Amino acid sequence: MNENDKFTQAGKTAVMQNIQGIIGFLLGYPPFNLMEQGHLAWLVEHAQLRFFAAGDPILQPQDGPVQHFFIVKQGLIRGERVISGNDEPDTTFEIGTGECFPLAALLGERATRTLHRAAEDSFCLTINRDDFVTLFSQSMPFRDFALRGVSSLLEQVNQQAQKQASETLGAHYSLDTRLDSLIGREPICCPPETSIRNAVKQMHEAGVGSIVVIDPQQAPAGIFTLRDLRALIANDAADLNNSIATVMTPQPAALPSSASAFDAAIAMTRRHIAHICLVDDGKLVGVVSERDLFSLQRVNLVHLARTLRQAESIQRLRDLRSDIHQLVDSMLAHGASSGQITRIITLFNDHTVCRVIELSLEEHGDPGIPFSWLCFGSEGRQEQTLHTDQDNGMLFSAASGAEADAHRERLLPLARHINNALAECGFTLCKGNIMASNPDLCLSAQEWRDKFSRLIRSTTPANLLSSSIYFDFRVVWGDKRGPEQVFAEVLRQIGGNTLFQQQMAQNALLNRPPIGRLRDFVVARSGAEKDTLDTKVQGLSPFVDGARLLALANGISVTNTLERLQQLRERRVLDPQDADAYIEGYQFIQLVRMQQHQQQERDGKTFSNRLDPDTLNQLDRRILRESFRQAKRLQASLALRYNL
Amino acid sequence: MNPLSWLGIRRRGLSPAQQQRLDALPAPQPLDDTPLDDCRFVVVDLETSGLNVNRDRILSVGAVVIENSLIDLGSQYECTLYQENHRVTESVLIHGIAPSAVADGVAPADALLDFMDFAGTCIFVAFHAAFDHRMLQRGLRDELRHRLRHRFVDVAELAPMLCPAGGRRQSLDEWQQHFKVVNQQRHHAAADALATAELMLILLSLARREKLETLADLDSRLRHWRRLRQARIGAM
Repeated sequence: MNENDKFTQAGKTAVMQNIQGIIGFLLGYPPFNLMEQGHLAWLVEHAQLRFFAAGDPILQPQDGPVQHFFIVKQGLIRGERVISGNDEPDTTFEIGTGECFPLAALLGERATRTLHRAAEDSFCLTINRDDFVTLFSQSMPFRDFALRGVSSLLEQVNQQAQKQASETLGAHYSLDTRLDSLIGREPICCPPETSIRNAVKQMHEAGVGSIVVIDPQQAPAGIFTLRDLRALIANDAADLNNSIATVMTPQPAALPSSASAFDAAIAMTRRHIAHICLVDDGKLVGVVSERDLFSLQRVNLVHLARTLRQAESIQRLRDLRSDIHQLVDSMLAHGASSGQITRIITLFNDHTVCRVIELSLEEHGDPGIPFSWLCFGSEGRQEQTLHTDQDNGMLFSAASGAEADAHRERLLPLARHINNALAECGFTLCKGNIMASNPDLCLSAQEWRDKFSRLIRSTTPANLLSSSIYFDFRVVWGDKRGPEQVFAEVLRQIGGNTLFQQQMAQNALLNRPPIGRLRDFVVARSGAEKDTLDTKVQGLSPFVDGARLLALANGISVTNTLERLQQLRERRVLDPQDADAYIEGYQFIQLVRMQQHQQQERDGKTFSNRLDPDTLNQLDRRILRESFRQAKRLQASLALRYNL
Repeated sequence: MNPLSWLGIRRRGLSPAQQQRLDALPAPQPLDDTPLDDCRFVVVDLETSGLNVNRDRILSVGAVVIENSLIDLGSQYECTLYQENHRVTESVLIHGIAPSAVADGVAPADALLDFMDFAGTCIFVAFHAAFDHRMLQRGLRDELRHRLRHRFVDVAELAPMLCPAGGRRQSLDEWQQHFKVVNQQRHHAAADALATAELMLILLSLARREKLETLADLDSRLRHWRRLRQARIGAM
């Protein structure tokens, strides 16, 4: 029986009630929901159902190469790794209903590296290795999933995010532009019998990167690009007098000219190609290149940045805020990661702050004392979302305490002016008064140095809280060197002060990720926040606090959480695999939070970080749970490191 | 002429092919020192026209196999039997087998031969096994003049024996709830058989923990438990 017959056969027995029942179960979970019915039936028919009592080991490193593929039908499986110096094994992952394991070991034909143990009474569907391989070779979605595991799921999440965001993009937005409005000139094309030499000549004269080969009916038969030419030249046997038809890529990608720029971008990204033929009624009408699309995006980014920098009034700056919101929408639509988006938002916020300072200097008058504008907290970490408030300060130089007082006297009114102008532009005034207009935060370099030293030396709860804000430190406007020297001093002092580090570690353990001992999310039990959890305080803070502490303790001066984790990974302070897992977890929680903010913005609601996990789909819930678990692991490693 | 035909019980002669298949049926599995892990268990669930073991008939057979302490989903048995003069009774509301499905069913003699062939050398497992045991015994006797010698294990007995924490649970539904076994389609022969089989997997795992290793161990423990229960009831 060949493979195909086998699958048809499977289709017939698929009418059996129990097979149907289990197929129905599998259809609730990725990647099975993407698989063909015949393949699913085949899978179930070749499956066994096994039971593991809570505590039973399922797969162990000493078992040798893995022989089965497991799908959890019911229950919970825990991955355990023993860390030296730790009595309790570390739970490295949890696998719940509908999830499968062990992919890497099966594909690598090796033993598992992690002990898989039933955390509760569990039923698993298993198929043996040969059947796994057959399925792997037959079903595309299954192969995709097996090869890329959770990252293929993340891609699905991104696709969903893109879809949601693109649905809300206004018609004026450029990626909704019809492709026919993008093509300026007649397409460069030639008949199939044209020699390669002549075809390339035609491309050269027109200054384009591609030529479309068309048949007598003007339908595109193939495409030839500069990349193809490069490959051709590299081939010694190539004869440029041969016909272009012998070297073209047949059946080029095509879209109708009424399709949108977004369609083209998606098609290009998906197929890794740089050119798309526009075909109406079977006839070639134009070609869109990757460059056409990207120039379109750059205009938006660059143009917006330039407009902000040159805005003639605070009023204008305020109006431009809505453009930033739209840009975030479109970036989500392009599948940008949360890290990229927060960086872009911060960039625009920086432009806004700089312009506000310049305009304030004009309106208020320049006191003639050079100063640097500092920012702290999320702005300092370059992690602002649309929902942001002010955390800033001023640094100037003064030779003496008396001079400092005199300078402060003259700078404070300007600081107040700037703070108010920023508030007008949408940066909420800081409730804790962490603003440059506060005399305690409008300081000379020496005063800042003293202030920071005090924070490090005396670890009162209030000082620790201040440390967690001020040591996410960045210069937005003005001279950078002075402040950076101050911060270098901070790093030196922290590096030599283990007591301070330990207190910071204790602080970093305060916000517990909202997952329980087993699998469910821990949500508020009552009140207005019933059934919700806080994505910022409970989800992001553990990562932010952990990364800050480790970075400060190891002399790393960058303040962005992702960059901190990256550098900790490079310096091997963190195990590379752990660091990657933390980065993914952190980014995912941030993405969920941003999507929520965008939605609140559209619904005209006030921004909130409270999330009801039940409103997420199955896939998001699963990844969110995993992300929180990574936060928990980071905290556990801090506790171990600092003997807490 | 069959002297019993006036009773309305069909005792047609078997065709030579059927007789040959009947003779070739494998022997039953004795309750010997075969390890539980090596034993073939066939979990059976019969849907019948009613609860009277002397009068009602088998409408459908569902069976799931446990071997090596796992359920092989590729090897299941599912068959609706053709029964003459099938009357719709209130039990149709429970099992949901429409008269039309019965009319399309397989001739009972062939269906039962198929089933016994599928079962092979095995221990039968059922929930409230006495009922399925009796129904199958009568079916085989009436249709094939065959004496059923296979042994039955009753999950309704095993469960309270191995899991006293389950308390005074009685029904399949209750035990499913206790062990949190999900059954998508209750009162469908095959789905009930699968749910019972899942319970059986849990019970086999409990048996292993109690160091019951062979069929004989399990059997003697069951006898002991029955005596204890009798004594307890007697004392009350």
